[in-house]
Amino acid sequence: MADDMTKNNSTLQNDKMEIKSAVENEAFATEGVEIKALKKTMKEKDMNRVVITQKVMKVMVQVFLYLFLCIMAIVVLFPFYWMIISSLKTLDEYRLSVPTFWPRQLMLHNYADAFNTASLGVLFKNTMIVGIVSTILSLVITVLSAFAFARLEFKGKNTLFAALLATMMIPGELFTITNYQTVTNLGWTNTYRVLIIPFLVSVFYIYLLRQNFLQIPNELYLAAKVDGTSDLKYLWRVMIPLALPTLISITILKMMGAWNSYIWPRLVANDEKHRLITNGLRNAFTETTGDVNYPQQMAAVALVSFPLFLVFVFLRKYIMKGVSRSGIKG
Amino acid sequence: MVDSKQQWKAWIYLAPAIILLPVFTVWPIISTVRMAFLNGYKGLEAVGGATFNFGIENFTKVVKYKKFTQCLKNTILLCVLTVPISTFLALIIAVCLNSIKVFQKALQTIFFLPYVTNSIAIGMVFAAMFNIVGSFLGTSNELVQTAGIINNVIMFFGGEKINWINAGSSYVANMTVMTVYIVWNALPFKILILLGGLQSINKQYYDAAKVDGTRRIRVFWRITVPLLSPMLAYVIITGFIGGFKEYTSIVGIFGEKMGPADDSKRLNTMVGFIYDSLSTNNQGRASAAALILFGIILIVTLINLYVGKKRVHYA
Amino acid sequence: MKVVLENVTKIFPSRDKKAGGEVVAVNNFNFEIPDGKLIGLLGPSGCGKSTTLYMISGLQKLSSGHIYFGEEDVSDLSPENRGVGLVFQNYALYPHMTVKQNIMFPLENLKGSDKLSKEERIERAREAARLVQIDELLERKPSELSGGQQQRVAIARALVKMPKVLLLDEPLSNLDARLRLQTREEIRRIQRETKITTVFVTHDQEEAMSISDMIVVMKLGVIQQIGAPQDVYDNPTNLFVAKFLGTPPINVFNGEVKNGKLYIGKDAVMDVKLEDKKVFVGIRPEGFILNPNGVLTNDLLSVEVMGRDVSIVSSNPASANPTIRSIIDADSKIDRDAKTISFDIKPNKIFLFDAETEERIYF
Repeated sequence: MADDMTKNNSTLQNDKMEIKSAVENEAFATEGVEIKALKKTMKEKDMNRVVITQKVMKVMVQVFLYLFLCIMAIVVLFPFYWMIISSLKTLDEYRLSVPTFWPRQLMLHNYADAFNTASLGVLFKNTMIVGIVSTILSLVITVLSAFAFARLEFKGKNTLFAALLATMMIPGELFTITNYQTVTNLGWTNTYRVLIIPFLVSVFYIYLLRQNFLQIPNELYLAAKVDGTSDLKYLWRVMIPLALPTLISITILKMMGAWNSYIWPRLVANDEKHRLITNGLRNAFTETTGDVNYPQQMAAVALVSFPLFLVFVFLRKYIMKGVSRSGIKG
Repeated sequence: MVDSKQQWKAWIYLAPAIILLPVFTVWPIISTVRMAFLNGYKGLEAVGGATFNFGIENFTKVVKYKKFTQCLKNTILLCVLTVPISTFLALIIAVCLNSIKVFQKALQTIFFLPYVTNSIAIGMVFAAMFNIVGSFLGTSNELVQTAGIINNVIMFFGGEKINWINAGSSYVANMTVMTVYIVWNALPFKILILLGGLQSINKQYYDAAKVDGTRRIRVFWRITVPLLSPMLAYVIITGFIGGFKEYTSIVGIFGEKMGPADDSKRLNTMVGFIYDSLSTNNQGRASAAALILFGIILIVTLINLYVGKKRVHYA
Repeated sequence: MKVVLENVTKIFPSRDKKAGGEVVAVNNFNFEIPDGKLIGLLGPSGCGKSTTLYMISGLQKLSSGHIYFGEEDVSDLSPENRGVGLVFQNYALYPHMTVKQNIMFPLENLKGSDKLSKEERIERAREAARLVQIDELLERKPSELSGGQQQRVAIARALVKMPKVLLLDEPLSNLDARLRLQTREEIRRIQRETKITTVFVTHDQEEAMSISDMIVVMKLGVIQQIGAPQDVYDNPTNLFVAKFLGTPPINVFNGEVKNGKLYIGKDAVMDVKLEDKKVFVGIRPEGFILNPNGVLTNDLLSVEVMGRDVSIVSSNPASANPTIRSIIDADSKIDRDAKTISFDIKPNKIFLFDAETEERIYF
């Protein structure tokens, strides 16, 4: 404590001194006569000028940086702001020719209306079912496969792994065409499983987790074997805890995938009972241009976006880490 | 290191993946290529027992198909517009973020926010911001009208309001809106990657430049950009791949009509074309278009790799 | 528990796949480790010592031969059924578990009648921790421990299930010099207290000599010599063993036996009853006696005082190395400015080796 205080004091003093010397510098620069009176040589005067210009430049650059970043931040945030305030306005207020930047009257009722119009309850439920089931199953498959590729020895391992990696090059649309036929032939359309099963194996996640597993020293595995630990127990007690950040990242990305998926569900499960949130939102509000009840529509959009924000607020670290490490565009 | 005769154990661990992959990954590749090379292949007719000749008719037809060329043009245009703009903007923002100390984390978080959004949902917000309620020409029998917040801002600065997305809007206006939205959407990912790259550059390079009295702008072009080139290359290539698969952001703003009310499908993209063909049961055409998309992505990747070998510096 | 290796051989497929062929990592090993002894497997890297250790642990299968623990053939048993404790070079502590959890982990795998309750496991873990003197650190994570403490945890983890054989893979190589000295005493103490048959692998001859009851010197998958450290040092069977043991290392000269005399260069250093041939002559640094009229004369390079001893660095055209190092009592008077220096040689510190086979020639 005492140390801190003295430190603070000394920095304060330093600050004061700096201010003082800055003031003096300014005086030198502006009042040439005074400088001569103080018997400063020309050379020293020039040095002072340079110091001042440097300082001014530095401050200006910092001001410019913050100004630019703040403007960009406003641009980035504006759509969210507009979504929220629009969702709280009355229709009449929204349509004022001069828009208001804060609602005169908070219309929380818009949210209830939006919830009912788009039957968001069912959509939330469907999306959660698909999201949670597919995440859990996908994690199990990913962990088992990644473990086999990282730790077990079997014939054709490298060939198989290379073949899997090669499929990552191919755009998803190419798979969709045939998968659409396959699930239709299987009679899976308008079920939950059609939304879950085709995407359970993600080569990319297997690759990501395998890389993570490989970083765990092999001695840990050998030590566990000497102690008679079974592979499954080792996986559960050692590998999974150590690779937890990657697994959390995968979970978040997978859940976000269910939340944001649009194309596939629209093709194969667009009935009332199984529809997912994004499709529901788009279906409920087909008109985006012209004379639209925007406050209600924005309330619905806010409701759909809100869980994502929650995830973002609490798990930002994992998302940012996961995305920067894996470089996936969701 | 460990001797293992128990190969079967590995295969048990792999079993779920090994069962699912052939069905939903391997077979689709074979089948889609097959359909693409069966002239005029239609799934329903095939079930009915019709046979199709082997050939490249799907490809020759599709490239002459006006709807397809429109889609191709839209897709390429969006790529060419959005990738350079978003990359450059992201680079500038990342460099600025990297040179401040106070609020760096907070600002970084704000810039990442658009990543965790639903592109359909936020597309609807953008539509609201650009939309004009009421007749654009402002006839007197309109009760209330708002030109939309964007137009209001433009008018505040003394500009003319523009019909961005409503019926009667121009192609250029539509594309501008799409560019703004896609760039907004693409920024967070690029900023994150580039900032990560910047933070891993050894500070010594900058100290050396400082000692030599190198100007900021020169430091940027001669040190930052070359040392960041692997990340830049990565961001650009993923940008192009993402751009060629653009679809949902247009659905977000314009709805499934993929264009303003009076000219639907005007903004359709490659992916949109594939799904339209699929829902009209033209699997042959869809497969051919998907293979063309794959080809384009492959070429872009190869070009990037080739240029990368010559230009990218790995520190 | 005594451990017996009988015709143990390990063959790996060659890494260079195109060339094909095989690498014999361990070639026909036969030796017996008496019950309750501490054995050092010693050799330069690539000599097969770690492979041998891994074969004893069961982590690697034998290509041929047998390993017995007591009278029981364990060659085909998996590691968990052999009852061995293994300490890895980098300790292999689970980074996400506390010290206590790390030590308890092996006990959780016990099945059937061996199964322990949680209280018993904790008690056993405490006991093991007490033995290696880390009972204060039980709630810490490995990353919060020093290298020496991590090493102790690793030993405790290996000991906690009361193994029949304790195996240590380069246990000291990740420690700094001071800790190394301390830890090797510690390992010796633990081994004495527990009386567990212990095998450890090292490339550091000093380490092996200082604590082992018996050392096994290996080279390129072949056993060179087995014996008590002092016996091996005093009686090396070949040039490799002689060179590998001892610091400073043995001095080697190109010598020749002529007319019943051993010559190093022009100096006839001693009488030998051997026929005429070329030989390598090995002389331990402590085998020199300062004598102005000595049998061997070298060019004096420098004199290094080391407190207790004096180390004389000299050279001789017949030497296989650029310099010859001899250790002399600090009391000896040495003329540092002299151009040359002469020695007598202690007969028990000089060894002859065949110039072709490098095998020891007894005289």
